[in-house]
Amino acid sequence: MSSPTLDLDTVDLSDRTFWGAPPEQRHAVYDQLRRERPFAFFAEPVIPYIEPGPGYHAVTRYADVEAISCQPALFSSGSGAVSIADMPPDLNEFYGSLISMDDPRHGKIRRIVAKAFTPRVLEKLVGNVQAVADDVVARARRTAEDGDGTIDVVADLAAPIPLRVICDMMGIPDADRAMVLQQSNVILSGGDPELVQDAEQMVTAFLEAGEELAGLMARLAAERHAHPADDLTTALVSTEVDGERLTRQEIASFFILLLVAGNETTRNAISQGVLALSEHPAERDRWAADPGLTRTAVEEVVRWTSPITWMRRTATQDVELSGQSFPAGSKFLLFYGAANRDPAVFPDPHRFDLCRDPNPHVGFGSRGPHFCLGAHLARREIGVAFRAFADHLPDLEVVGPPARLESSFVNGLKRLPARLTGAR
Amino acid sequence: MTRVVVDREVCMSAGVCEMEAPEVFELDADGVLQVGEPTDLAAVETAVRACPTGALTLVDED
Repeated sequence: MSSPTLDLDTVDLSDRTFWGAPPEQRHAVYDQLRRERPFAFFAEPVIPYIEPGPGYHAVTRYADVEAISCQPALFSSGSGAVSIADMPPDLNEFYGSLISMDDPRHGKIRRIVAKAFTPRVLEKLVGNVQAVADDVVARARRTAEDGDGTIDVVADLAAPIPLRVICDMMGIPDADRAMVLQQSNVILSGGDPELVQDAEQMVTAFLEAGEELAGLMARLAAERHAHPADDLTTALVSTEVDGERLTRQEIASFFILLLVAGNETTRNAISQGVLALSEHPAERDRWAADPGLTRTAVEEVVRWTSPITWMRRTATQDVELSGQSFPAGSKFLLFYGAANRDPAVFPDPHRFDLCRDPNPHVGFGSRGPHFCLGAHLARREIGVAFRAFADHLPDLEVVGPPARLESSFVNGLKRLPARLTGAR
Repeated sequence: MTRVVVDREVCMSAGVCEMEAPEVFELDADGVLQVGEPTDLAAVETAVRACPTGALTLVDED
């Protein structure tokens, strides 16, 4: 990407509207930050009722993202990994769950839940994912045929697949699923005005969304205690590690983490993968013709889209990175999308190449204990989804620009208009 | 002969090794990593490198 040099002093990564702009713009900024200011300092965004903190460093080089991630004792998650501001501890724990936790507690809980996400456990889900994807694709076709031939890639394809898979895994009744989608949208809205109308009410909206999901979990957990079923919720309420069970609070926040993380990230990888394929028709045709490409293609979709823009770490003591010193308490945002286009690691990084191999992207997080728990599930869902699109929706055509979520944390689409040309 | 050593304190049961070399690594029903004979050495080396927590090492024994 050869873009004119920007005045970095005018760039503010804390400005929500920056993230609503087309991705070319952020990648031009990432490229220049990586070259000129690899630890650029920014003031924190203003959130009503939350005390503004000291600011943060934007980490854009792959090597630095990796160095921070793999030294969890020096770079802590416990003071908050998913918000720039330090949230009150109870909120932090409730919304962040495992993500905003350090060892040893993190390790204990992670091992309890990890056994529900092993490759072999997920292997049994393949049939389920396939059935969900086939059904979603068939419904999208009907929506186009019954209407004017158009669909919304987000609402009709990308959202329902992960929503139904994660709700099936957790045993959530059909009647509650619309609420799950709505409230997880609010929690990860980043305050986007379309999802949280009144900025003054942002914190209240998050709290109410969390309360609704926690209420659903409490009801479900009680039901599974009385009547165990073959689902993840039953596993969570009954699992023991070293004789310890998860507390009700731990179950509630983990439940929210799974619903939110399991929905939003995969949805945004799928919707932006569809967009990327429409912008690179030769790659789309190559994948459609060769299912053997799926393994590397899925990794490239995740690298290209980097659905989670950053996670935060906080220095537990005075630290040094690439020869620079930072005092204890310094906050670092690890910009995964920037690391994933670092030319030091990825040859021709702005080329969308479904055969890219090796592809050591950090779309699921970098090396360290917080590596994405759902990586296998996400890979499976993305692979199955795109094969289903190639097989059953070869006439899918993006017909308009996407509506981007104005959030610095989630790289997401709210809508992506498309047409099924064979439908009309 | 080469064998794989697992640091149990560090392993988070992420299962990345199992994706890379399923014939050698398996997370059992309790999420505990079981390691077999490293038959396909290239795949095992990839798995060791890919481990997100650095829990795996290859050691050569005579």
